[in-house]
Amino acid sequence: MIAKGRLWKIAGVILLIYVILAGMLVPLKPGIEEVSPSSGKSGEMLHLEVTGYNVHFLQEASSLRAWLKWPDGRALRASGVQVLSDRQVRLDFSIPSQLPEGPEVQAVTLLVDHPSDGTAVLPTAIFLTQEEGGENLDTGVWEKPANFSKGPFFTFPYRNILAETVRNTYFHVPLWFGMMFLFLAAVIHSVRHLRSGGRHSDQKAVAYTLTGILFGVLGLLTGAVWAKHTWGAYWSWDIKQNMTAVALLIYVAYFILRASVDDPDRKGRVGAAYGIFAFSTLIPLLYVIPRLTDSLHPGSGGNPAFGSQDLDHTMRLVFYPAIIGWTLLGFWMASLWYRYLNLREKVEDFS
Amino acid sequence: MASFITQVGSGGEDWLETGSENSHSKLYLQAYHGMPHKGDPPRRNMKDLYAIGLLLRKEFLLELRTGAAIAGITLYVVSTLFVVYEMFVRIQPSVWNTLFWIVFLFVSVNALVKSFVREKGDRALYYYHLLNPSHVLLAKIGYNMLLMFVLGLLIWGLFIFFGDNPVREPGLFSGVIFLGSVGFSVVFTFLASMTALGNQSATLLAVLSFPLVIPMILLLVKISAHALGLLRDTAIGGDIAVLVAIELLCGGLALILFPILWKS
Repeated sequence: MIAKGRLWKIAGVILLIYVILAGMLVPLKPGIEEVSPSSGKSGEMLHLEVTGYNVHFLQEASSLRAWLKWPDGRALRASGVQVLSDRQVRLDFSIPSQLPEGPEVQAVTLLVDHPSDGTAVLPTAIFLTQEEGGENLDTGVWEKPANFSKGPFFTFPYRNILAETVRNTYFHVPLWFGMMFLFLAAVIHSVRHLRSGGRHSDQKAVAYTLTGILFGVLGLLTGAVWAKHTWGAYWSWDIKQNMTAVALLIYVAYFILRASVDDPDRKGRVGAAYGIFAFSTLIPLLYVIPRLTDSLHPGSGGNPAFGSQDLDHTMRLVFYPAIIGWTLLGFWMASLWYRYLNLREKVEDFS
Repeated sequence: MASFITQVGSGGEDWLETGSENSHSKLYLQAYHGMPHKGDPPRRNMKDLYAIGLLLRKEFLLELRTGAAIAGITLYVVSTLFVVYEMFVRIQPSVWNTLFWIVFLFVSVNALVKSFVREKGDRALYYYHLLNPSHVLLAKIGYNMLLMFVLGLLIWGLFIFFGDNPVREPGLFSGVIFLGSVGFSVVFTFLASMTALGNQSATLLAVLSFPLVIPMILLLVKISAHALGLLRDTAIGGDIAVLVAIELLCGGLALILFPILWKS
C-alpha cells in the first residue's frame, strides 16, 4: 500500500499548494447581503435599499438592472435604479395590483445584474401580499430576464449564510474523505495481518489509524469553525457532530486496547480484530444514524447532501484536487510514521 | 433443569464441576468429531446446534452452581434502582426511558465482563484443542443474551415496584429489551474476549464498548419511546430494521474475528 517513489508525494504537495492558493484567493461571485424592507403589497410602489457583497455599483452604474422573479419564471423589472454608493443601491418597483396566481403571500427572488460583476441572486428576498380588490390584469409588466452578464470567469458561488466560509469546502470535506481512505487502508492492513501475521502489516495499520485520527480531529475542528459562522456555535450538539466525536472515541480506544496487551503478537491480533470491528461500526455511526434524525448538517435530516446545487463547476475544479491532495498527504504522513515504528522496533531489538 | 439442580444439591462442588465438564466434553466430542458423513449439510447443522446446546448447558450449570455471580448482579440491579429512586422520587416518562437504558447499559457491562474469565491459562488450552471457537462464541452470546433479557425484565419489574409503570405497550417494550439484550450481548461478549486477559478488564471493556454501542442505544431509546407513548412516529419499522441490521453486522463480524483471536 505504501508505494515507493517520490512522484505521488510531489503530486500531493503540488495539488495542496494549488488548493490552498486557489481556495483562498479566488473571489466570490457578487451577492446581496441585505434588503430592506423585506415585504410589500400589491398595487404599491416598493422602494428597496439593497446592500451588495463583492460588487462595484459605481462602475457603469447606468447599465445596472434588477428584477423581482416569481417561481414560475416571470419577473418584474425595477422601474428606477439609483446607486447610493459602491455597495448600496436603491431600487423602485411598481407592484401591479393583481399578482400572478399563487398563494396569498408569495416569496420572490431578487436579481441584480451588473455588466462587469455578474448577477447577484437573493432567493426569498421579498414577501409580497395580495391585497383585496385588484382586478385589472397588468399583463404588460411581466418579462423574462435575459442577457445576464457573465462576470469574471473564475469565481466561487456566493451563499448567504456561508459567504466567505464556502472556502472551508476545500479543507473540511476533503479531510473527511482522507480520514475514510486512511481508515480503509488501516482495515486492509488489519485483515492482512490477521491472515498472514507479520509485524509490518500491523505497524502499517497502526500508522494509518493514527493519521486517520489526526485527519478526523482536523475535520472536526474545521467543522467546528464552520459551525461557529453558520450555526452560531462551535458545538451545537448536532447529531452529526456527536456521532463524529463518538467515532473518534472508538479509534482512541483502539490505542488504549493495544496499550493494555503486553504480548506483541497478541497485541497485533487483538488490535487488528478491534480495528476491523471499529471500522464496520463507523459506517452506521457516520452514515446511517445521522440520517434518521434532524440535523443542521447537509446530508441528513432532510437537508440536501452535497449535490450539484452546492458545488458549481469552479468549485469542482478545486474540490476534487483537494480530496486527492489531502489523501496523498495523509498517506505520506502514515508512511513516515510506519518507518518510524519500524526503526524503533529495530533499535529496541538491537539494544 | 431438574437433573442438574439435584446434582448441585448432592455433592461437593469441585468434584461436580470437573466431573460434569468431562462428561460434557465426551458428549461434545461425539457431537463434533463423530460425524459419519462430512458432506451431509442437514445432519451437520443438527450437530452444530447440539454442540452449541451442550456448551450453553455447561454455561448454565456453572453459573447456577456458583450462584454468587448471579446473586451479585441481581444485588447490583436492586441497589442501583434503589439509589435511582432515592434521588429522583418521581420520574417523568422521558427521564424513565433514559434511566432504564443507562441502568441496562451498566448492568450489561458488569454482568458480561466476566464472560471469558474462566477461559484462561490451562483451561483455555484445553478448550482450544477440544472445541470449535464459533460454538464457544455462540454459546456465550446465547447465554449472555438470555441473562440480559432476564435482567432487563428484572430492571423493568423493579422500576414498577419502586415507582410506577409508564410503559403503554408492554409487548413492544419487551421486544425492545430483547433486541437490546441481543445487541449488547453480541458486542460485550466479543469485546470481553479481547479484554479478559488484561488487568483492568472492566474499565477497558467500558472504554471499548460504550462508543460502539451508542448507535444501538440511540435506536433502542427511540423505539422504547414509542412503547412509552412518548413518540407518535410511523417510521418505527425502519428504526427496528436498522437496529437489527447493525446487530447482524456486529454478530457476523464477531463470528468471523473470534476464531482468529481464539488462536492466539
